[in-house]
Amino acid sequence: MLNSTVSRAGKAKAGAYAARTRAGLRFLPRSPAFWFLFPAVFALAVIGIYPLLVALYNSVHQYRLADLAAGTPFVGLDNYIATLTDPTFWQALGRTVLFLCLTLPIEIVLGLFAALMLHRPGLAWMRAAARVGLVVPMATTYAVVGLIGRLIFNRQFGVANYLLGFFGVRPLDWLGDPTLAFVSVMIMDVWQWTPFCALILLAGLTMVPKEAEEAARLETRKRLTILWHIERPYLLPGLTAILILRSADMLKMFDAVYTMTRGGPGAATEFISVYIQRIGFRLFDQGLASAQAILLLLLTIVLSRLYIRYIYQEIA
Amino acid sequence: MSVSLFGLVTIGAAPRSFRARAGRRRATVWHGLALVVIFLSSVFPFYWMVTTSLKRQADALAYPPLWRFTPTLSHYIDALFTHDVLGSLINSLIIASSTTVLAILLGTPAAYALARYEFRGKQDLWFWFISNRMVSPVVLAVPFFLIATQLDLIDTHIVLILLYLTFSLPIVVWICTDQFRNVPVELDEAARLDGASPWRIFWRINLPLAMPGIVVSAIFAFIFSWNDLLYALVLTREDAVTSPVAATNYMSGYELPWGEIMATGTLIVLPMVIFALLVSGRLVQGLTMGAVK
Amino acid sequence: MNKRFLQRKLAVASLAATSFFLAAHASAWTLKEAAAPYSGTTLHAIFLDRPGYAAAEKLIPQFEKETGIKIKWDVIPYESTRQKEVLNFVSGGAQDIVLVDVVWIGEFASNKWLVPITKFTGDPKLADPNLNLKGFFPILLDSFGTWNKVTYGLPFDNYSGLMFYNKCMLKDAGFSEPPKTWDDLLNVYAPKLTNTAKNQYAFALQSRRGETQSADSFMRMLWPNGGSLLDAKFKSNLMSPQSQAGLEYRQKLMKYMPPGIVDFDHAEAVNALAQGQVAMITEWSAFYPTLTDPSKSKLGECLGIAAEPRGPAGLKPALGGFSLAVNAKSSAKKQAAAWLFIQWITSEQMAKPYLEAGGVPARTAVYQDPAVQAKYPFVKPMVESWQGGVPDYRPRFPEWPAISEIIGEWGTKMMLGQVSVKDGAQTIGSKMEAILQKAGYYDGKKPLLK
Repeated sequence: MLNSTVSRAGKAKAGAYAARTRAGLRFLPRSPAFWFLFPAVFALAVIGIYPLLVALYNSVHQYRLADLAAGTPFVGLDNYIATLTDPTFWQALGRTVLFLCLTLPIEIVLGLFAALMLHRPGLAWMRAAARVGLVVPMATTYAVVGLIGRLIFNRQFGVANYLLGFFGVRPLDWLGDPTLAFVSVMIMDVWQWTPFCALILLAGLTMVPKEAEEAARLETRKRLTILWHIERPYLLPGLTAILILRSADMLKMFDAVYTMTRGGPGAATEFISVYIQRIGFRLFDQGLASAQAILLLLLTIVLSRLYIRYIYQEIA
Repeated sequence: MSVSLFGLVTIGAAPRSFRARAGRRRATVWHGLALVVIFLSSVFPFYWMVTTSLKRQADALAYPPLWRFTPTLSHYIDALFTHDVLGSLINSLIIASSTTVLAILLGTPAAYALARYEFRGKQDLWFWFISNRMVSPVVLAVPFFLIATQLDLIDTHIVLILLYLTFSLPIVVWICTDQFRNVPVELDEAARLDGASPWRIFWRINLPLAMPGIVVSAIFAFIFSWNDLLYALVLTREDAVTSPVAATNYMSGYELPWGEIMATGTLIVLPMVIFALLVSGRLVQGLTMGAVK
Repeated sequence: MNKRFLQRKLAVASLAATSFFLAAHASAWTLKEAAAPYSGTTLHAIFLDRPGYAAAEKLIPQFEKETGIKIKWDVIPYESTRQKEVLNFVSGGAQDIVLVDVVWIGEFASNKWLVPITKFTGDPKLADPNLNLKGFFPILLDSFGTWNKVTYGLPFDNYSGLMFYNKCMLKDAGFSEPPKTWDDLLNVYAPKLTNTAKNQYAFALQSRRGETQSADSFMRMLWPNGGSLLDAKFKSNLMSPQSQAGLEYRQKLMKYMPPGIVDFDHAEAVNALAQGQVAMITEWSAFYPTLTDPSKSKLGECLGIAAEPRGPAGLKPALGGFSLAVNAKSSAKKQAAAWLFIQWITSEQMAKPYLEAGGVPARTAVYQDPAVQAKYPFVKPMVESWQGGVPDYRPRFPEWPAISEIIGEWGTKMMLGQVSVKDGAQTIGSKMEAILQKAGYYDGKKPLLK
C-alpha cells in the first residue's frame, strides 16, 4: 500500500528494482505510471470532486431547501459554529464513537478467528461452505438487515427471545429498551460486517509464504506465537484497511439503524448519520448538514491517518 | 491437558505418534465445529428471512416460532409482479455489473501503478482514492440530484453507474494495490529485460497473478453498488428503480407484510450469493496459487 | 281567433322550450369535452402503499379511458414522500399531482409550490358545475386543502382517529360497551383488562419516534384535556395545567400498555389488537380493512368500533389525511389535466365507487345512505368524529417538521422516564419557541397561521 518493504527473500532484489524505478521513471505525462493512473483519477475527479465542492460551498451559505424564499446568503462559519455548539450533535457523535469502540474490536477478533479457521488446511469442502456462507451477511441490503432485526428481536414473536427461553431467560424488550436497542443494532452490525473483516484478513493470510509457516510450526506448538511473529505482518495492511473503511462506514451508517429503530427509543440509537439525515432531509437545512458532513470528513481523515501511522508503521 | 483456541492439543508423556494422531483428529473435530458455527451464524438470519417469506402472515407472527409450516409462494408472486421487484432486480443487475466492470477496468491499472512506481505525492494520491468514501451521502445527494436534473439524467441507469464508481473504484484500487505489491518483482524485471512494454508486463504477468485480489475486490464492488440506498432513492423514479429502493417501500410503519418484505429481501440477496458462488471458484484457485512460490 | 292565439302561444312556448333545451345542452359540462384538449398528456403523481391509493389505482383506468389523459404514479413510503416532493419542487422534477399531508399544506403553500383551485374553478371549461365544494366535510376541506383562506387541494385520503376494541375481551371483564371518556378508560376499564401474567393489556398507544409519536401519541393527549401545543400568541402552552394533566395521564397509562410500547408503530398497535394481546387501541380509521381481514386478524365478530373517548374538553379525536393539489411548476396544459383528475376522483359521483374500492371519500352525501352505514361499521363513528374535531390538530405551518422532530425525541424520552413530564415539556417548549422566534412569528414578520 504505502512505502513499505516486504520482509521476504526477494527483498534485496525488490529494493534494487525499486531504486532504479525511482531514479529512472519520473512522474511525467510520458511515464507509464501516469497513463495507468490517469483514467481512474480523471473519472473520480469529475464525478466526485464537483459535488464535494458544492457541499463545501453550501456549508458556508444558508441553504434551506424548504425555505428558498429566504435566499441563500453567505454566512461564513455560522453553520460550523452552530454545529460545534449543538449538544445534540456531540451526543450523537459520542454515541457513534462508543458504538465504534465496542463493535469494531468484536468484528476484528471474530473475523480473525474465522479467517484462521478458513486458512487452516483440511476439511476442504467444509471450508468452502463456510466461505460461501460468509458472503451472505455482507450481501444483504442494509435496509433489509434492519427489517430482519425487527423480526428477530421482536419481543412478542421474535426468535431471539425464543432461543433465550432455552436458557431460562425471560423475554427481553430488545427494541423498546434503550440499552438493549443499542445492543440489537450492534449485534446486527457484527453479523453483517464480520465476514468482511474475515475475508480481508484471510486474503492477507494467504500471502504468508508456506515455508515460513511450516518452519515456525516445527519450532513451536503455540499457535499464538506463530500468529504474532509470522503472520502478523501480512495481516496489518488488511487490518488498517478494515479500520479505515469500517470507521468511515460507521460514521455513515444509516439505513439499517433507521429501519430497525428510527433512532429511538428516545435517542438511544440516534447515531451521527441519522442526525445528519434529519437535518438534511427532514429539516432540509442543507447548509447545516453540509457543515456537519465536512466536519465528519475531517474527523475520518484524522482517524485514518492515525491508523496508518500507528498500526501500519509497526512492521517497519 | 489443555486445548487451545485453534485446536492444537498439548498432552503429557504419552508416545508421540499415537498422541499426535489422536491430537490431530481432535483438532480436526474442533476445526470442523468452528467451521460449522461460522456457517450457521452467518446463515441463520438469512434462513430466518427465507422461512418467513414462505409463511403465511399468521404463521409468521406465531409464538413460539413455527419450525414446521405449510409453505406458500404467494409472497414471492406478490413481490415479483405486483410490486415489480423483478424489474428492480434487473435494474440492479445492470447497474451493479456495469459499475463493477468499469471499476475493474479503471482501477486495476491504477492499483498497479501505485504498487510498482514511485513518485511524489503517491501516498496522498492513494489516500485521496479512499477518502472518496468518507463523505456522508446526505450532502452529496442534493448536488448530484441537481446536476442530474440539469443533464436530464434522472431515472437512468448511467447516472447511478457513474455515481457508484465513487465507492467501487476506491475499493478496487485499495485491495488490488496490495495484491500487486505481492507479485514478485523479479518477474517484472525478467520480462522487462526481454523487452516487454509496461502494459504487457501488467497485462500478461501481474494481472493473472493478482486474480484473487481482483476477484475479492470485484465481489465487494458489486455488493456495495447493489446495496446502495440513498442515492438510488433520490435519483430514480420508476424506470431505473433498484432493488433496495423496492425493498424500502415496506419501510413505512403503517403495515408490515412480513411475508412480502422477507420475500423481497431474499430475492435481493440471492443474485449476489450466486455471483459470489460463481467467482469464488476463481477465488479458491487464486488463494491457493498465492501460497505456491 | 282563439285558435290563432293558441297557435301563437304554442309557437312561443315551443320556441322557448327549444331554446331553453338548446341552452341547457350547450352549458352541460362533460368530463370528456373538458379533457379533449389534453388528451394524450401524461401526468405524474406520488402515491402511498395504502388502501385509499389502491382504490384510486383501480378507478384510474376508467378516467384514462374517458379522457385520454394518462396517469403514472410512483408508490413510495410515507417517510420519503415529503423528501421526494420537495426535491421535485426545488429542481423541477416531473410531478404534476401533489400529495399534500395535512401538516405540509403550510409549507407547500407558502413556498408557492401549489396552484390555488380558483384558477380552475373560475374557468368554465375546467370547472365541473357539480363540483359542490360544500359537499365536502368542512373540517376536511379546511384542514387538508386550505391555507390562509385559500384552497389549494381537495381532500382525497381521509382519516379519523377511532377506537377499535375487542368486544369479547371487554365482555369477559364485565363491560358491555367501550369507555366513553379517557378518565373511564384509565380508572375503570384498564385495571380490569390488564393481566400481565397472561400477557394481556388494556390499551396500546402507538408511540414510535417520528410522526407517530408527535401526532398519534403526544397530541392525542393534549386536546381532549383542554390543553394544546401553542397558545394564541404561538408561545408554548405545554406548561398549562390542562396540557400537563394530559401528559401525566399518558404516563399513568403506561402500566396498562405492553412493555416496549415506545417502539410500537401503527403496524404493531394494530397487530396487538388483531392478535388479542390488547383490548383497545385508538388508531386511524384506515386500519378497518386490516382488522377485518381473516388472514391478518383473529378478531372476527369481536371487533368493535367507536369514536375516541372524550375528555373534559369534549370529543377531540386525531385528525389526519391527504389532499391532492396541482404543482405550480407544471406546464399550463398539465396543470389543467391534473385538475381534471383531482376534481374527478374526489367528486360526489365517484364517492361511492371510491368507497367500494376501498377508499374513504370526504363527501358527506355518500355516508348518509343507511345501506352504506350498515356495510361499513366505521362510517358512523367517523362521521361523528369529523363533525367535531380540531382543524389544526397539528399546526400545519412550515415549521411543523422541525417541531415534530423535537416532540418525537422528547416525547419518547418522557415515556421512557428518562425525563420528567415537566422537564420534557419545558424542553420542547423552549426549543419550539426558538424555532418560531427564528421564523419571525413573534415580531410580526410572519402572520400567526396554523
